[in-house]
Amino acid sequence: MMLYEKIKTLYPELTDHDFMTVITLQNDSDGKGDYIAFWNHPTYRKPTDAQLAEIN
Amino acid sequence: MAALIPSASATGSGTMTLAGPSTNSNQTITIPDTTGTMMVSGNMPAFSVYRSGGNQSVSNGTATKVQLNTEEFDTANCFDSTTNYRFNPTVAGYYQINGGIGFNATTMNICITFIYKNGSSYKRGDIRATQSGDSVMVVSSLVYFNGSTDYVELYGYLNATVGSPIFVGASDLTYFNGTLIRAA
Repeated sequence: MMLYEKIKTLYPELTDHDFMTVITLQNDSDGKGDYIAFWNHPTYRKPTDAQLAEIN
Repeated sequence: MAALIPSASATGSGTMTLAGPSTNSNQTITIPDTTGTMMVSGNMPAFSVYRSGGNQSVSNGTATKVQLNTEEFDTANCFDSTTNYRFNPTVAGYYQINGGIGFNATTMNICITFIYKNGSSYKRGDIRATQSGDSVMVVSSLVYFNGSTDYVELYGYLNATVGSPIFVGASDLTYFNGTLIRAA
């Protein structure tokens, strides 16, 4: 499961608009994969690596 | 009449030549009433690159750098088409930068093409409507470069509701180009 799907699983209420405004997931095509480049959601806290690792 | 004072560069030893026209007609060059750098083809970087060698698979909902791996031209070798996929010109000034990405998934509802400058979103163009097949979203902007550290990259964002998102590998669908239009 990719990072986007993991976050949607953790917070199903997040909208497409959230991912274009207060949350930015990014991949720099450098082999390091997807990461959270920006998180400024007013309600939901940025997930920890441990939280994301628990989601398969 | 104004004086014409040749000034050699601090380190150069080359000869400055003012060549006459190759016809019998008189030609006039009017020097602007200001100081600046004369632009000629040799110091005006231009590039045009595209994605080839197959589609680029990307993650849903994730701004992803496009791996633009084929050069149509790169007059000053300022585009890195093998590692960082970025344009980093060595001449300071104002550049016209254009990019397009061919997005594809079985069904998708958001496609965004970004010009990233120095690692952050700088300008973007987007489509927010349900669609399928190859959809090209373009972005275009004037961008200032300092001639040393400034660079731009092309990023895309795709939200697929059905199917796997890709950037289409084709010269007329996924491309990036630009040229200097005015020196700093």
